[in-house]
Amino acid sequence: MNVTFRIKRFDPEKDARPHWQEFKIEAGPMDRVLDVLNELKWEQDGSISYRRSCAHGICGSDAMVINGVNRLACKVLVKDLGNEIAVEPLRGLPVLKDLIVDMEPFFDAYKAVLPYFINDDPAPVAERYQSVEDRERFDATTKCILCAACTTSCPVFWTNGRYLGPAAIVNAHRFIFDSRDQGADQRLQTLNQVNGLWRCRTAYNCTEACPRGIPITQAIEEVKRELLWRRN
Amino acid sequence: MYRGREGQWAFVLHRITGVALALYLLLHVFDIGLVMYGPKGPFNAFLAFYHQWPFRIGLVLVMAAVVYHGLNGLRIILMDFTSWGVRYQRSLWYGVLTLTTGIGIPILIKVVPEILAGKV
Repeated sequence: MNVTFRIKRFDPEKDARPHWQEFKIEAGPMDRVLDVLNELKWEQDGSISYRRSCAHGICGSDAMVINGVNRLACKVLVKDLGNEIAVEPLRGLPVLKDLIVDMEPFFDAYKAVLPYFINDDPAPVAERYQSVEDRERFDATTKCILCAACTTSCPVFWTNGRYLGPAAIVNAHRFIFDSRDQGADQRLQTLNQVNGLWRCRTAYNCTEACPRGIPITQAIEEVKRELLWRRN
Repeated sequence: MYRGREGQWAFVLHRITGVALALYLLLHVFDIGLVMYGPKGPFNAFLAFYHQWPFRIGLVLVMAAVVYHGLNGLRIILMDFTSWGVRYQRSLWYGVLTLTTGIGIPILIKVVPEILAGKV
């Protein structure tokens, strides 16, 4: 396939603002967008900058805007996009260079919801028992890979970078509904603040963007209801 | 432009209609408030002014905005307070659009001929 591949480039040392650069390349239909980017970087222009690591949809490094939607470059095939492909950096986070954004604000929001197991009881001799049903309660939200595709697809996050965002809420959900965890009150207190949970306006972009298929809006609504019923 | 799907456009339309209705309400309260200056006051002059056709088309848009914003508000309540609302959000939004159109057509049948005839 002859592909016209456009990349939104930005070099902080040379450019005042980002600009589009167009490449022509011969790509196979089963090539992934990441393969095309690698080919361009290795054969045509070594200065193209982007993050990638595992290249198999697990590390969450190569989330970017591909033809207008947030996707992992390693999970999208050229044949599903056609002959015109355009890639841009994620929105709502500062662009450092080309497709690389500053993920620090994203991880700050993640850390704010205490995304780790909290239980001050002495550890039992064997494991902390959890029934299959109790484990099932938060199964979907264990699948997050922190790629930021959800948070940077959210219209509320674009205009208010202080909003914790869907990824942080998903990871709070993972522990709030864990029957062994005792930190739900602390997390809900954080989520109840002005730039927390209630900023969600159910635009569903997060759910559509998640490369892991997590029903994110459903998870956010469950946390909203948990917060509401606990207050009463 | 981010290529979001139904949920994004439901949100965008809800926000636009919400802001538009808030502005309209301010204008409306101001106009009605002019009644307190009595029959010789500016109220009647404003009323005649608003009967020109651009404002009458605007009023049709206000009605469309009220119906959409209200119905989509019910959709949001269903998503927030039921376990199944989120799963059916797309169908619910198409329902909102269908009902908005359904309610809008009789309004258009009533109002458009009046605008065309130049009636006040």
